[in-house]
Amino acid sequence: MRSCLAAILLCLPCLGMAQTEVTSADFASQTITIALNQEPPQLNGMKATDQVSIFTLGHVMEGLTRYDRRGNIVPGVAERWEVTDTEATFWLRKNARWSDGSAVTADDFITAWQNVLKPATASEYAFILYPLLHGEAINKGELDPAELGVKALDEHTLHIRFERPTGYFEKLVAFVTYFPVKGEFLAAKGSRYGADATDLLYNGPFMITDWVHSASLHMVKNTHYWDRENITLNAINADYITADTRARLNLFIDGKIVHTSLDGETYKDALAQKLRIRRFTTGSVFYLEYNFRAGRVTNNINLRRAIQHVFDPDEMVNKVLATPGNLPGKSLFPVWLNGKTDKFRQEYRPQEASLDLVLAREYLEKARIELGVEQIPPLVLLVGDSPTAAKQAEYMQGVLKAKLGLDLKIDVQTFKQRLAKMTAGDFDIVAAGWGPDFDDVMTFGDLFTSWNMNNRGRYSNPEYDKWVRIAMNSADVTVRMDAMGKLQQILFDDAVILPQYEQGVIYLMHPNLRGVVRRVVGADPDFTHAQVLEKGD
Amino acid sequence: MATTLTAELTPELTPDFTAASHNLSVEQISRPSLSYWEDAWIRLKKNTRAIISLYIVIFLALFTLAGPLVWQVDPSLQDLNQISQAPSWPKTALLAAPYERWQPIILDDFPSEPDTFPDVIPAPDGLQTIGLATTQQIRLRWNPVVGAGGYSIYRNNHLPEGLNDLGLPLATTMGGNEISYEDRLNLEARKYYYSVVPTDGIDEGDKYVTLEVIPTIAITRAEATARGLISAASDLPEGASLTLHFHPFGTDYLGRDMLARLMEGARVSLFIGICAPFLFVLIGILYGGFAGYFGGQLDSTLMRFADFVVALPFLLFMILFKIAFGIGPGESGIIPMLIALVLLSWPGTARLVRGQVLQIRNNGYIDAARLLGAKNSYLVLRHILPNTMGVILVSLTFAVPGAIFTEAFLSFIGMGVAPPTPSWGSMCNEGVKTMLSHPHELIFPATFISVTVLAFNLLGDGLTEALDSRMRSR
Repeated sequence: MRSCLAAILLCLPCLGMAQTEVTSADFASQTITIALNQEPPQLNGMKATDQVSIFTLGHVMEGLTRYDRRGNIVPGVAERWEVTDTEATFWLRKNARWSDGSAVTADDFITAWQNVLKPATASEYAFILYPLLHGEAINKGELDPAELGVKALDEHTLHIRFERPTGYFEKLVAFVTYFPVKGEFLAAKGSRYGADATDLLYNGPFMITDWVHSASLHMVKNTHYWDRENITLNAINADYITADTRARLNLFIDGKIVHTSLDGETYKDALAQKLRIRRFTTGSVFYLEYNFRAGRVTNNINLRRAIQHVFDPDEMVNKVLATPGNLPGKSLFPVWLNGKTDKFRQEYRPQEASLDLVLAREYLEKARIELGVEQIPPLVLLVGDSPTAAKQAEYMQGVLKAKLGLDLKIDVQTFKQRLAKMTAGDFDIVAAGWGPDFDDVMTFGDLFTSWNMNNRGRYSNPEYDKWVRIAMNSADVTVRMDAMGKLQQILFDDAVILPQYEQGVIYLMHPNLRGVVRRVVGADPDFTHAQVLEKGD
Repeated sequence: MATTLTAELTPELTPDFTAASHNLSVEQISRPSLSYWEDAWIRLKKNTRAIISLYIVIFLALFTLAGPLVWQVDPSLQDLNQISQAPSWPKTALLAAPYERWQPIILDDFPSEPDTFPDVIPAPDGLQTIGLATTQQIRLRWNPVVGAGGYSIYRNNHLPEGLNDLGLPLATTMGGNEISYEDRLNLEARKYYYSVVPTDGIDEGDKYVTLEVIPTIAITRAEATARGLISAASDLPEGASLTLHFHPFGTDYLGRDMLARLMEGARVSLFIGICAPFLFVLIGILYGGFAGYFGGQLDSTLMRFADFVVALPFLLFMILFKIAFGIGPGESGIIPMLIALVLLSWPGTARLVRGQVLQIRNNGYIDAARLLGAKNSYLVLRHILPNTMGVILVSLTFAVPGAIFTEAFLSFIGMGVAPPTPSWGSMCNEGVKTMLSHPHELIFPATFISVTVLAFNLLGDGLTEALDSRMRSR
């Protein structure tokens, strides 16, 4: 017993020493260690929808174009391109290679896109390929995949015909669903494609060498990648797979991982540990969505206007959310979206409702008369079950009660249940949010069209639909942005939604790591051009 | 002659005793005859702990019923100028000008994006506040730095000890020529340390500059009017000082008065904590007493049914009642909670009472009373019930904290009170989240729950001792 104890005591200092030598960002070998939130559910780029899969694929694959450090579109597999209203041509670089050494050809893109659109693939992101000629018809099974309006002029020239003008097409092709797949390899692997490290061919900066399911995933620099000289990192090791923010914080403190996100609870610990906290705007917009179904009191415009004139997004962000990084919500279109030449929000400034209690009460009185009720019945606010969601809901309840005398009932539901209730229309107001799929205003703009299934309140306005169609069918950036500006105005005039905030997150990053990019769309965080600096102090 | 003789014989004789007066008082009972309850009360009074507990229970009743009459503050009124304030004396605030959006300072003659990515970007100089720093806003500006593509602004509560200790990252400006920042993030009247770090547009540099700022409490005219601090027609000049609303127990995370919430919460917690146990203990007494007194086949049937009720899941019934009562989301579930508690919690008491009754009814004095012609009702009321009182009170006093905790738990999972109505339990659950930064939000409701539970337990102990006839000789 005593000897045992002595052995343990002797071991302890050794453990301590070993710990300090383990480093999550190693300068000599340019290796970093990270933690993934979960096992990538899907490394078949044609089917991937979730963040972890998109993160991994963003490092090991490359589309025709890619985003640079500042979020601009730069050449990827394609050297140069031309996009017109009806067609696009991409010239592929000759030195783009798969990890088996063979060339990435125009046919590889055609194979991938035809497969995505095949009904049998059942890709959830197939709609993102609808701008391609016959894309939607193929996806619905009305046409053969061979009819897709894409053809290879030669091995390195890809020609695309559009269903409708798509001014942002070079941004779309940077998305995971547009990544190439080598036909022979796909045929050989069949349903095993993307199931394991050896069941995937890589054309990106990194390649997966070792994937122990639910435990770890190792990526090393792809020696066949055309731009390999500009990739400094030799390896990215995802040695931990956990979504537990506290566990991840502990791993970070122990120097086991280079990056972790913080939530409302863990950030205080990080502050106490004197860790340098960083901030990032995720690009998602959160808002209250009204129910427009017949019989709902929220269908009344004056009621919605009354709420619009008492809600102060500044107060919500500064006093209720009270974590840095969030921006007050002023529009469905977040600040980072690009417009004609500048940011969209700079060119089309959203109208803001004045905080005017007298006006709001006038609107409320009008609503009461129009609805023909003595007292407006209590509204049901459907929210998620996170502590911050409950806090926000209580804040709204207090605001509406104190300023308008409106009663608000808070319906707290789990994510799945909330989604079910949203789809069924079982709410008056719902706290919702929307994150971008690609870097264009359209990813937000078409949200409240009458045909969009994500329009949970069933808002239906022919005027709104008309402007979305105009924007969809034009490649002229001025026409498109003007249409989006109109949409923004309709959303305000009709008080379709009550924008609350643009979401910000705070996170920790290893101090010796440089060049990591946080992205609003695509792989986030992006370690592609990261490098480990020599330890300074 | 004879009289003379007598007179001669007696002149010197005086009695050296007095006749005892006929006094009946020795046969009277010296102390007043005490009823069962009077006796119990006397013995309870000797128990200091029980008496203190009794006073606490009386205080709680007053706090709940009379408190809101004295402290007339709306428990759901949010005051976002005073979020999570610790208990303190009334604070004064400056009357500030209405907030106007501040345009950031962007220099036209300075590049927004640097041409190169220098390895070292020097820290900016000239970091200063613009205008008066108040809890409404703190405006900072600094001088631009060559090579910067933006600046990150941090805020800390203590003097930063290094690059990793700058505190909360408030924002990053989007260009090297944007050299100002306005902080409005949950400002309190305390010392803040602002640090500015230049970035190359993507990564932050290693050099920073720090400024110490202490904002003064300020309130805008609109806010002051909305809170009723000044009248709408008031012509109080800007910069005048106002006394803010007094919150003796501090405020919660939405600036609601803790004292008012504790009073409001007490209604829910004590309603459930007292009503439910009283009702189910009453049912238990009747059921257990009936089973125990009659015994035999009836007893075993009744007790098997009690066993069956014990096996029923409480939460499931709670949900069923909620649906059966048509209580939608966001409505208070207190009544179904009460019913579920009463319907499912009585078997414990019933078992205890039955056991006690079974034991007592076989005692000799019961048989004697029966032989003397006592009826069932007399036996039960005079002999059996008083003797089971100890057991009943114990189970009652233990049920009170149990019910309060059940309410707290159910409010936590969203089955109990609906916001904004508070209960002590839901206040605790909210307080736990900010336990480290604002402990008063947890400590007050937790103390109230603990003291209530303790008071009921000690009072119950005292009552048990006082009421148990077997302890009378001690």
